[in-house]
Amino acid sequence: MDSVKQHWERLSHGPFLRLMRHCVDRIFSGSEGAEPGELDLSIATILALLTTPGAFISLFCMDHYGSLILFLRGQSVRFDPYAASAGDEYFFIVLAMVVAGAVAVWKWDRLVPDRRDYSNLAPLPISSSRIFLANLAALSVLAVVLSLDVNAAAAFLFPLVVCAQETPQVFEVFFATHTLTIVAASAFGFLAVFALLGTFMALLPYRVFRKTSIYARCAIVFVLMALFTTSFSVPRKMQHLGHVPRAWAHLPPPAWFLGLCQVLRGQKSAAWTSLGGAAIVGLLCVLLVSLVTYSLCYARCFVQSAETMANLPAGRAARASMVFRLLDALLLRSAFQRACYRFAFRTIFRSEEQAFAIGGFLSLGIVLASQTMLSAMNKKPLPTMSGAVPSPEILSVPLIVGFFLILGLSSACAIPAPLRANWVFRFHINSRSRECVPLARKIVLTFVVPALAICLPVYSHFWGWRVGMTHTALVAVWCVLLMEGLLARFRKIPFTCSLPKFKSHVIVSALLLILGYFAFTSVTATVESWALADPLWFIAFVPVVLGFSVVLYRWRNTMIDSDRHLLFEEQSITVVEVLNLGS
Amino acid sequence: MAAALEARGLRKCYTAAPAVSEVTFGLHAGEVLGCLGANGAGKSTIVKMLTGLSEPTRGQVLSFGVSIHKDLVAYRRRLGYVPEEPELYAYLSGWEYLEMVGTLRGMERAQMTKKIDALLALFSLAPYRHSSIGSYSKGMRQRILLIAALLHDPEILILDEPLSGLDVVSAMIVKSLIKTLGEHGKAIFYCSHVLEVVEKVCSHVMILSKGKVIAYAPTTELHRMVGQGSLEQAFVHLVADRDAEQTASEIVEVMSAGAA
Repeated sequence: MDSVKQHWERLSHGPFLRLMRHCVDRIFSGSEGAEPGELDLSIATILALLTTPGAFISLFCMDHYGSLILFLRGQSVRFDPYAASAGDEYFFIVLAMVVAGAVAVWKWDRLVPDRRDYSNLAPLPISSSRIFLANLAALSVLAVVLSLDVNAAAAFLFPLVVCAQETPQVFEVFFATHTLTIVAASAFGFLAVFALLGTFMALLPYRVFRKTSIYARCAIVFVLMALFTTSFSVPRKMQHLGHVPRAWAHLPPPAWFLGLCQVLRGQKSAAWTSLGGAAIVGLLCVLLVSLVTYSLCYARCFVQSAETMANLPAGRAARASMVFRLLDALLLRSAFQRACYRFAFRTIFRSEEQAFAIGGFLSLGIVLASQTMLSAMNKKPLPTMSGAVPSPEILSVPLIVGFFLILGLSSACAIPAPLRANWVFRFHINSRSRECVPLARKIVLTFVVPALAICLPVYSHFWGWRVGMTHTALVAVWCVLLMEGLLARFRKIPFTCSLPKFKSHVIVSALLLILGYFAFTSVTATVESWALADPLWFIAFVPVVLGFSVVLYRWRNTMIDSDRHLLFEEQSITVVEVLNLGS
Repeated sequence: MAAALEARGLRKCYTAAPAVSEVTFGLHAGEVLGCLGANGAGKSTIVKMLTGLSEPTRGQVLSFGVSIHKDLVAYRRRLGYVPEEPELYAYLSGWEYLEMVGTLRGMERAQMTKKIDALLALFSLAPYRHSSIGSYSKGMRQRILLIAALLHDPEILILDEPLSGLDVVSAMIVKSLIKTLGEHGKAIFYCSHVLEVVEKVCSHVMILSKGKVIAYAPTTELHRMVGQGSLEQAFVHLVADRDAEQTASEIVEVMSAGAA
């Protein structure tokens, strides 16, 4: 035992494993460590957070499978666990794939060694192939740990919930097939994103890759969101799949893994076998592409770092300068607004954290809006003549997009760009400046106005000018109210203040947001559809607009002077404050 | 004539022990005041108070006889500042960063653009002006900071290790620049660890140790006052608490310990 322990200690402190540990740490840590005021998550925290969704959702499944709940509902307490759980199984597969894929997107720029690693490791007596293998080993460990961690709770809890009344043999089969499927789905999600990353890095010039990777990541986030929403519609369709594999069933990758799961459970119809085969082929393909592209990227980006680092490219002036000059003349009246607007605009498009925040919210909005629109069109096709009134679902589409866009922009404004660099604003700007809200307003409107500008021609085309103009006006007013509400006490230059401290009422805020979403979209759209049929209903909007405006006006007026000063650092309010009166 | 920049009894406490205590000096137009001290002597703390980024626990910072905190905005219009660490937004290009600074200062656009282009060329950064700052070397970032500090023709300059990371030619240019600016009536507060540069460019020297001013005199007289042959010897005499040669020998001993 002692010799095993000694052997392990010798091995774990040996150069290869130490290098591997360094690669794992590098993947999980930030580029220079977290700056003060930024969110800093340790590996343990990240792993703990990743395992919670599966755990909670497994427990919520008791509503479907709990024998007492079924008995109280008057439903039969006996059911076929494989057939009954197919829908939820699909959901867990999607969850595993999306979470693992999201982690790969989040750590996209840390997965392959870069120039900083080259600067630190190349001068040491370590061969390039050793660094290659150590990083590859670290990535493999990461993929395995991630797959196990994301699914750890769900792997045990879900089978326990579903098979509570089954024999131990049925439970064992269910447990084994469920665990294997969701772990394979996680691995697929992670490797698919890594394969995409590798392909981009291998094919594109380094400078082009650096500039465009942020957009690629946002696009992948959009795809993951869309994949997530398939868990609400695909399982129902899969139940009517029959024995003949349909072409559409092969589209979403989670369907492949559902097929694999069913095959492992003995459901060997042609449809499931075809899908199961696609899962295995897909997994092998992404693994192979990942390995090949990783090798190419390593050779290209890491080994040749010395040459690429020495040649600093000249770069080109950004093309937006003409647009900025136009905005200076029309919109941005002061030096503060001109400088900070340009800074904010460039940060949104070039800084990853902010682009992700906005991209994530916008993706969710577009996906939900698309789902709503498709569901509405399934019930009733779009009219071909004016005079008809659109359904509440159709009316809610621009409201959904506007809601998430404004929420995303205002949330992103609170995320700091490198915090230490904000000295340039602390130094040059008067702390009593009151231009933060007008500036933030102009930033939000820059994105919202073009997004909603398509409202008028689209609705006018299908439902006539009256409906088009009325709806566009209502959406505009609602978006302005939402924006004013979110920016009411905003006193920061976007992206220059530390993150707010974790607040105990974050759950209440989340609940308010969900309620706000339904009020902003569904309720408004329903009342609007009544109003378009009977204009008297428009009166219902007047007290809402007036009341909100009055409340906002009063709330703003209750701010004392010091509450209007520029903020560069969020401070927690302490219950007891020690005053240093001695010095 | 009131001093362009004056510190009176400055004191700053972060904890019970003060970081800076009873610092008093005056800097007139045309003077270059060098501030020397070991790590932790309080140089950066003083710089933060002089720039208004930090308020003193006690004491005042005055500019032309008026407390800077009476109108910080007006004071900073006359001030150019180069911080010790080149903390910049890596995703902006050099040109975009300077444009942002010039716009924040309310400079007229056409004149600002001309000045930025000219200064970038003079600091040998013109070919890289549209590359992102993230791809710049340390020396290039330092030059960007210098340009940002000089863009609006300030009356007072506070430079914290401005030569850090600069190549030999750029360092020579900056040293000549500091001397020339002093001759043109600018008041310059120059923080550094490099004694030779301070000796060459500064008209006055202030030496700090543990937050206190332990020497303050014209450069040419300081080492004579302390009875030493050079500024370096004067500094070692006043501040150094370790024998450099002894420490070097101990380092070599540790290095070679355990070698086969």
